[in-house]
Amino acid sequence: MILSPAERSYLYDSLAKDELIRPDARADYQFRPIEVKTSFLPSSNGSARVRLTDGSEIITSIKSKVVLAAEEKSLIECDIDIPGFRDDSNFVANLKYNMTSLLNKSFPFESLKLTSKYAFKLFIDCVVISYSSFPLTFISIACYLALKSTKLPKLISDVNDEETAEQPLFSDDWENAQYLGDLNDSKSFNPPLIIVIGVVGKNLLFDPSAEEEQVLENGIIISWYNNDISTPIHNLNFSVHSNMPNYKGLSQQMIMKSILMARKHCANIVKALDQAIEEQTDDGVIF
Amino acid sequence: MDILKITQPEALSQDVESDIEMSDNENEVTGNSLVTPGELVTDDPVWMKGHGTYFLDNKTYSSVAGSVSRVNRLLSVIPLRGRYQPETGDHVVGRITEVGPKRWKVDIGGKQDAVLMLGSVNLPGGVLRRKSESDELQMRNFLKEGDLLNAEVQSIFSNGSASLHTRSLKYGKLRNGIFLKVPSNLIIKSKNHSFDLPGNISIILGVNGYIWLYKTPSSGRKNNINASSNKAQASFDAKGGYNPGQGSVSITRLEEESSWEIYSDKNDPNITGSVRKNIASYYNIIKALSHGELGITEQRIIMGYEASLAYGNSGSLIEKEAMESICEDVLNSEKMRGDAS
Repeated sequence: MILSPAERSYLYDSLAKDELIRPDARADYQFRPIEVKTSFLPSSNGSARVRLTDGSEIITSIKSKVVLAAEEKSLIECDIDIPGFRDDSNFVANLKYNMTSLLNKSFPFESLKLTSKYAFKLFIDCVVISYSSFPLTFISIACYLALKSTKLPKLISDVNDEETAEQPLFSDDWENAQYLGDLNDSKSFNPPLIIVIGVVGKNLLFDPSAEEEQVLENGIIISWYNNDISTPIHNLNFSVHSNMPNYKGLSQQMIMKSILMARKHCANIVKALDQAIEEQTDDGVIF
Repeated sequence: MDILKITQPEALSQDVESDIEMSDNENEVTGNSLVTPGELVTDDPVWMKGHGTYFLDNKTYSSVAGSVSRVNRLLSVIPLRGRYQPETGDHVVGRITEVGPKRWKVDIGGKQDAVLMLGSVNLPGGVLRRKSESDELQMRNFLKEGDLLNAEVQSIFSNGSASLHTRSLKYGKLRNGIFLKVPSNLIIKSKNHSFDLPGNISIILGVNGYIWLYKTPSSGRKNNINASSNKAQASFDAKGGYNPGQGSVSITRLEEESSWEIYSDKNDPNITGSVRKNIASYYNIIKALSHGELGITEQRIIMGYEASLAYGNSGSLIEKEAMESICEDVLNSEKMRGDAS
């Protein structure tokens, strides 16, 4: 996307004002509204779809496999697919790296444990059907929703199998399947989230739109896990398809400020997502 | 205001009849009815096949989703949606995509980019100015890739692409505002496509669905701006404080206003916060009207603005429910005024 110099300076001036005015009048902490559907793919353990009103759409599917825990490097594998981009392109690899490092660093792995030897391994596949702005936040929201709605079959064999050479046995009644969060009675299952924050002047803005991305001076990625800030935290140029002429260095204060801002608002995002899952109806309406 | 508003996909409220009643009399072309691609329009071979139709085994089918139109014996289907089709005289907003020999290519949302010839723009220096080779060499100083402008469609080439001109003071480069797009079929053609709205805002509703919202230019604006970064413009800036014919319409006005200023990229330095807020509200109202598939007119935008004042913060207007309620309010107040069509 190319903006004309006049558009660019108008947008920059609006966003850099003491009291910032975003082009769609959103508050600095306000996300664009999303439409969400979970558990709609019949052949996967968990699934979620996130749509924005501008037509951006992300679908996430989670499948599971029983593995010998000792033989696996990680119990989660995340893959991102964006039509029109090679899997080894910078854009896709960067998104994939962020999601993988987020999930590997901040995930309640104990909830995947089956027996003393065996565990579930989760394969998370994200398809970005369409996007306008940097899609990382919405990918992580789709992963969060899919993980929360993931159902796994109920184990009926003995948990303690260190002595026996037996493979785990599952109930063949899918009605008995448990939510990933209810497995192993873990107190509360909260997958991690990534928030994308744009920096303009002394202002920070959550979820910059494609136009706003064009005038950002920098971008910060912050992760949220278990009610606190987590890693990865780093800065990034969100506008991948055009040069950001305003792109500058990042001052320490802005990083601190963005962490404070995330700390203030992320709990509400998690609350909104959890509420959306509770409100999901099983009416078969997908579109 | 919610930090993140989440909704669910909605079920269609009306039951879709599974068996569509097939009319026995398929020789009749139903007037103004909606057809879908592949639907039989008529099997009477007397009709001439127009746009949006195809012909197989002496039967005419629709190739697009839209309404059937009949003009004498010509049968065509007008698509409900689709790319903008330029027509001579349309007031459009466009973005320069390419600078070529003696011409600019302009994206106006049509099938092809439109052409703006160097000879169809006002050059600094007024009417008596002749085009020279140096003008060709410095075309990027006038308009460059990414620049937004409004223009009129001068003519249509045989392949359907448009040729534009900006030979009027109301056309030219756009400043002091923001750009947004809506589907072009929502813009209702009228005599005038640029309006002043309440709140010191002006709008250009391009027929192609490209919209420019900006601060209403003040009449004394000319003197405030001195965007002189270009050497060539220095000679035109030399006239100082006195502007002949200022405040009255004079024949020399074109000459004065066609200084380098008309190609300036600098915004008005005094755009206040309230103007910016109003622009953002209008942006959301137009998005809401387009979400509700309502035709966008000056009156509806103003009614939407009045309805939106009920919302303390116009940031909540991006939510689906708010957009739908704005559309309802607009339709209701239209009914009350008795000018619903």
